[in-house]
Amino acid sequence: MSYSTFNQEQNNPLTEPMFLGNSVNVARYDQQKHSIFEKLIEKQISFFWRPEEIDVSRDRIDFDKLTASEKHVFISNLKYQTLLDSIQGRSPNIALLPIVSLPELETWIETWSFFETIHSRSYTHILRNLFSDPSEVFEDIVINEQIKIRANDISQYYDDLIFYTQLLQTHGEGDVVIDGETHTITKREIKKKLFLCINSVNALEAIRFYVSFACTFAFAERELMEGNAKIIKLIARDENVHLTSTQHILNLWQYGEDDPEMKEIAEELRDEAYEIFMTAVKQEKQWAHYLFKDGSMIGLNESMLCQYVEYIANLRMQAIGFDAPFENQRSNPLPWMNKYLVSDNVQVAPQESEITSYLVGQIDSEVNASDLGDFDL
Amino acid sequence: MTNTFKVKVNGGPELAVDATEGTLLEALEKHQLEMNYHCRSGFCGACRSTLKSGKVRYTTEPLAYVRKGDILPCCCVPESDLDLDH
Repeated sequence: MSYSTFNQEQNNPLTEPMFLGNSVNVARYDQQKHSIFEKLIEKQISFFWRPEEIDVSRDRIDFDKLTASEKHVFISNLKYQTLLDSIQGRSPNIALLPIVSLPELETWIETWSFFETIHSRSYTHILRNLFSDPSEVFEDIVINEQIKIRANDISQYYDDLIFYTQLLQTHGEGDVVIDGETHTITKREIKKKLFLCINSVNALEAIRFYVSFACTFAFAERELMEGNAKIIKLIARDENVHLTSTQHILNLWQYGEDDPEMKEIAEELRDEAYEIFMTAVKQEKQWAHYLFKDGSMIGLNESMLCQYVEYIANLRMQAIGFDAPFENQRSNPLPWMNKYLVSDNVQVAPQESEITSYLVGQIDSEVNASDLGDFDL
Repeated sequence: MTNTFKVKVNGGPELAVDATEGTLLEALEKHQLEMNYHCRSGFCGACRSTLKSGKVRYTTEPLAYVRKGDILPCCCVPESDLDLDH
């Protein structure tokens, strides 16, 4: 049952489940069980961008003019975004790649994680510009109690799945005693952990990110911190694609279009999946309370942000087959958000932001007569 | 063949939508309806609506998961009169 980087057993990827079948051997995409994942790869790659393309230098001037409570909102929000992408830049790879069984899905997971690392690099780009030494901000992420509560809730489902997968791949199915504790390893148990993990990731991509986006774009609405907003707009566009992928996985299971056992598990754990979403909603509202503890800002306050959490939760939960839990929050309390989330409005034109590392045209096209010296006619 | 269809949203009045003029989402916005959307190009699924009756045609293939009975107005046009919940 140990993982092999090249499974020599001949298998047919068209009949494998998405996860926990045979591990992938040949990375081939001429035939696909769920071709949607390759379409998502293509979409995501077409969105490629680099943080350095965006000029954030004006933000420092804006930042100095913010009030203390606004600075708290801005920096806390960035810390939270940094946390989310720190987790997402590695976890889909570590948790999902060892158990994935379809080449197109394997490559999607790698593409997905890679883009999260671009996001992580852009937070450093933003913070380096705001502070001569951003260490204090980064270091607080592992100390700040408010952030830790979230980190724990997000990472526990990943960690649980990773641990059980490791036990399955080293010991196989059966009872394993680790540090005096007995763990019963069955494939079905791991599938349950996988189901909960994907639901938790889905809630992260669906709700948690959007709370942070709302804060960023609220500053941009006042024409403040616009460089930062440009970056977050690109991140939001990527996150939309990632969200779609977890919604696909959940719906494919639910409709029995993949592993029949996962369909059973989706029904069995429906209430737990619902709770994962509702816990994320509750935590994000607490986060809104923490952000605005010292005062609100023009255009955004705690109650508006909480209404937005409920509005977005309605949309996201319906997308995976739940009823909208917040019936009285059907209209968008922050209508300006949408203009930042429209993908057509996102333009990556490096030459516009005058960056030195713009790669096009860096090939030396100068030709001297000496270059042709050893040509014979 | 006519290109104009009657579209009912959330049990409201019938609105005239010309299928040759932009997406269903754009048409409903022209009628001053408050619509949910993000990407407007079929990959995020935020504009997801329930199609109670009628038929639509996608002008761009949606990348978001379209659950049975749902449509994505941002990337489709009507092919018949429609009754939607949004």
